[in-house]
Amino acid sequence: MSALPVTPSQTVGPFFHDCLLREDRCDAKLGDEGGVQLHLEGRVIDGDGAGVPDAVLEVSHTAGFVRLGTDAEGRFSLSTTRPKRVELDRGTMQAPHLSVAVFARGLMNHLFTRIYFEDEPSTESDPMLRLVPEARRTTLIARRAPDERLTPLYRLDIVLQGAGETVFFDFRSPAR
Amino acid sequence: MITTIGEIVRGDAAVFPPYLYEAYRSTLRRAPRLPLVEVPLTASELTRPRLDVGRLTAEDADLTRNAGTGGEALGQRIIVAGRVMDENGLPAPGALLEVWQANAAGRYIHKRDDWPGPLDPNFLGIGRCLTNAEGEYRFLTVRPGAYPWGNHENAWRPAHIHFSVLAPSWSQRLVTQMYFPDDPLLSLDPILNAVPEGARARLVAAYAHDVTEPHWALGWRWDIVLAGPGATAFEALEQSAA
Repeated sequence: MSALPVTPSQTVGPFFHDCLLREDRCDAKLGDEGGVQLHLEGRVIDGDGAGVPDAVLEVSHTAGFVRLGTDAEGRFSLSTTRPKRVELDRGTMQAPHLSVAVFARGLMNHLFTRIYFEDEPSTESDPMLRLVPEARRTTLIARRAPDERLTPLYRLDIVLQGAGETVFFDFRSPAR
Repeated sequence: MITTIGEIVRGDAAVFPPYLYEAYRSTLRRAPRLPLVEVPLTASELTRPRLDVGRLTAEDADLTRNAGTGGEALGQRIIVAGRVMDENGLPAPGALLEVWQANAAGRYIHKRDDWPGPLDPNFLGIGRCLTNAEGEYRFLTVRPGAYPWGNHENAWRPAHIHFSVLAPSWSQRLVTQMYFPDDPLLSLDPILNAVPEGARARLVAAYAHDVTEPHWALGWRWDIVLAGPGATAFEALEQSAA
């Protein structure tokens, strides 16, 4: 069968909030089945080092799926249960991570990235992270921030362009 | 249009626009400059994204009446209908479509849209629906107007409707825009023109007289074809892992 012509992507533009983020939320909660909790904070940053105030993140992990926006300074925050390890393929486990899609005015197609955790022992041997050039892996690993609260706080910025540019993925089809 | 076009593209470069397209100024500081890292699809990306949107009603797909005012939006009433499929023509049932658009005068309700086009108190410009078992969707709305923007001197966006598609597999996620064929602004628009020439027409709806309803609304048909492996790939992945 000949493949049908695929529909191209376009930017979300600046006017998506009322539709995609009905409560205009810049912080979100994900998963509440009583697992270990964590907070994640960060900013989406452009090539001038400025916050991106009109970005949308979609975050997926073992506890569910959530969409959140950035505020006027490009900040986002997420409270979630700690993700579990998931299989890459038979016999290979991935380290706990959040899968993230980034949308913004000026992004002609969304960007896929991931967020790992620095104090998680399996992060270092994660099979996906090992496909990333070593010098760039830190752009995908959230740092544990000193915090008085009982729930651990992690920080990671998503840098669209320039110094410390975040690693973004393109996907191959799954191996048969 | 002469412009610098970047080499970084996610997906098929004959279909998807490059991140850097200089004529669209907002890409200059937001396009990644380092190559994307190619990785295999895993369960993390193939899993169905479940966004909690509550219960959808028929009114959610009727933008002419869903402002909650009891009144009807002004403008040319149109039906936009089509089918969401994968590359093999298999329908994508249960896909969440979210649409947003300017009103008939070209004005969004968004707080940052401040050009002097009139607002319509009976129009939010927001709708959503789920595709049926055949992957079909249908919105009732008014034809959006063109509007000015600050990208370049005397810049106007052609009339368009934004579409967000949350498909059965997250790897098929798509956000795009639908245009109208009889619009002289299409050839002047850097956002549409960032799409490779051979794929641009896929973003333009077709007038469909069989969708048009007598004494009611003009019909437009626009099908959406999602790239990449769908839910069937996830099932195959699960089976190979079992």
